[in-house]
Amino acid sequence: MKKTWMIAMREFKERISARSFILFSVLGPLLVLGLVYMLFALGGQTKQHWKVLVADHQGLFDSKIMAGEDAAITYYFANGIIELDEFKDGKKYQEYDAMLEVNGKVLTNKTGFLFYRNKPSMRMQTRIQYQYERRLEEILVVQLTEMSLKKFRSVKQPIGVTFSDVNDPEGQANDMTGWAGFFFGALIFLFIFLFGMTILRSVSREKSNRIVEVLLASVTPNQLMLGKIIGIGFAAFLQFVIWIAVIGLGLYLMREHLFPDVLDAANMNVKQLILDANDVSYQEKYFAAREYNEFVNLVYDRIQFANTIGFFFLFFVAGYFFYGAIFAAIGATMGSESDGQQFVIPIVILLCLSLYAGYFTMNSPDSGMSTLLHYLPFTSPVVVMVKLYQGYEPGHMYEIYLSLIILILSAFGVMAIASRLYRNGILQFGHRVRLKHIFKWMKRS
Amino acid sequence: MDTILDIRNISKSFFRKMALDNVSLTVQKGEILGIMGPNGAGKTTMIRIINRIVAADSGSVRFDGDIMTDRDLFHIGYLPEERGLYRSMTVEKHALFLARLRGLSKVDAQTKINYWFDRFEIDPWRKKRIEELSKGMAQKVQFICTVLHEPKLLILDEPFSGFDPVNVELIKQELIEMKAKGKTIMLSTHNMKSVEEICDRAVLISDSRKIAEGSVSELRDAQKTGHYSIRFKGNMISFVNALWTGFELVDKRTLGDDRYEVVLAMRGESTFDDLLSVLIGQVKIEAAWESLPSMQDVFIELVQPANTSKA
Repeated sequence: MKKTWMIAMREFKERISARSFILFSVLGPLLVLGLVYMLFALGGQTKQHWKVLVADHQGLFDSKIMAGEDAAITYYFANGIIELDEFKDGKKYQEYDAMLEVNGKVLTNKTGFLFYRNKPSMRMQTRIQYQYERRLEEILVVQLTEMSLKKFRSVKQPIGVTFSDVNDPEGQANDMTGWAGFFFGALIFLFIFLFGMTILRSVSREKSNRIVEVLLASVTPNQLMLGKIIGIGFAAFLQFVIWIAVIGLGLYLMREHLFPDVLDAANMNVKQLILDANDVSYQEKYFAAREYNEFVNLVYDRIQFANTIGFFFLFFVAGYFFYGAIFAAIGATMGSESDGQQFVIPIVILLCLSLYAGYFTMNSPDSGMSTLLHYLPFTSPVVVMVKLYQGYEPGHMYEIYLSLIILILSAFGVMAIASRLYRNGILQFGHRVRLKHIFKWMKRS
Repeated sequence: MDTILDIRNISKSFFRKMALDNVSLTVQKGEILGIMGPNGAGKTTMIRIINRIVAADSGSVRFDGDIMTDRDLFHIGYLPEERGLYRSMTVEKHALFLARLRGLSKVDAQTKINYWFDRFEIDPWRKKRIEELSKGMAQKVQFICTVLHEPKLLILDEPFSGFDPVNVELIKQELIEMKAKGKTIMLSTHNMKSVEEICDRAVLISDSRKIAEGSVSELRDAQKTGHYSIRFKGNMISFVNALWTGFELVDKRTLGDDRYEVVLAMRGESTFDDLLSVLIGQVKIEAAWESLPSMQDVFIELVQPANTSKA
């Protein structure tokens, strides 16, 4: 054990003093923060004000759309026909963000056209569509019915259906939290892959520069392999902690200094938002919330960091050992450093499969396939994360422990096989790896 | 003399290829044993088995009288043929790391490092990274890392390959000195001259089997041809006339100024003494000796038939 520790510590020190480690520790979290910032900033941009020119040459809308003012959109009316090129290049039209074309056909074909200069946000689109639709209804009500508008409004009530899980009626867990789980699962795999490749490179480098034989005269192949996986694992973990610290600090600073208004609790509360905006449809509220506030809400309030960090850590470690042993075995069986690249492809496919499994689970969390992927050690770290954030049914928490036990046992199994491959392959140089050799090495003790 | 290493009936095969076939040998305490053999004969496999890097299929290895265990590795220093270093580590840290793996405490390791760095005059490179070193410097570091923990038995696989002549000499002197201090050294080499110079005994392995073992002089004696060499000054014709029927001229070399070196074979009952008595008075004898085959000759002589018989 002492020797394994020495090997691990040497590996750890080498990793953390490497330039790439320092670079990745700083740039990685900055990249994540940059993305979060962009999403926040883009969310904020949907508040901008639009000027829409309504080209209504038949006077269908009677120069009005809204009963009241919309803070986000001001409509202007033109009664003549405006050609698209004219709108596009005409000097007097440059102040308008979009042209909404209204003609008589809309009464029959129910299709309207809007030409924009810059693509409107989903929220803006919904808002315009809703207002267009509402005005059209007014016209149709007058034309086709005896009903007063007031009567019609009382008949036509937009209904918002909230889809809730019986086990989670408050809706704490939903698609968005599933995404958070997916993000954490993907993070596990990002680290496993990056540091798995580090294991592979480190093993093959020791092979190619022949230090390995000197080491093997003092330590067993198992100690060497385990030490390497542990040492690089420590480096991975340290890097991860740095990531969390930098991202956490960044999010805190963003909340306090960059977006104090948009991150205000009132803005984040979806229900409040719905109550405030009586004149917008459920659809719009839904889009608006989905587009922006839920994300902010998710990042700061909904992710249960404290409850999930323990499982995250356990699956991170077990998953790392599981894949790390495979990477080590590949490194040891390679004849030369470049030779192993082809053997990395199946692992990359496995990793992609895991990410897809997470995505699949997010969409159909209760399917049989998801259950299988939840227990399969190749995919369980990411699938469990997704499920964890989506929420386990009460009394079903044992599933997570079962999955963890399967992963740990599989990790031991893979380590046992990998150590055979390692032991038999590590002193073979300059050969072409063939599957036949790998099977023989696996059989040999 | 006590036996430090006793290898009995070791066999090892890789897939279908036999690497060692029932090889036994002993290494005595305080001797320098040379392991000779052509490439692919099985020398490195045997050395790896001794170092417990690979396991033998059958047979046993005893160290200091007992079946060898991992613990005994602390008493062995091993310099493999394919040797490397961690390029990004500093010389000192590298030496410290390997010494610690060999079981030295940090304090002990540091003391030994100071001693050896001083002895090999590499103290100024202490803080340099291995990648900054020249090949010769790196070789010195490798050797130091092998002997740092003062092993009882030193196993060197092709220690002179890749070393420049100055370092070869340095290492040779070091080995002789270590032997004087009672250490045992086992070296596998193609450099036959060094076997002659520093080895007490030699073992020849060819085609996975041990084909000869003995002291260097025994091995050379066993292959001697009965030829004698004489260096003389005088007339070549009178020399040849003097030989008469009892001796045969096998080879001659002119050294210049009427000086020659000749190789002779005895005929019939003739002896070396007879030869000398015949020659005295005819030419001026400067030196006369029995021609022994070099280790190179012994090697070729023993290995060739083994290879031919296989073919």
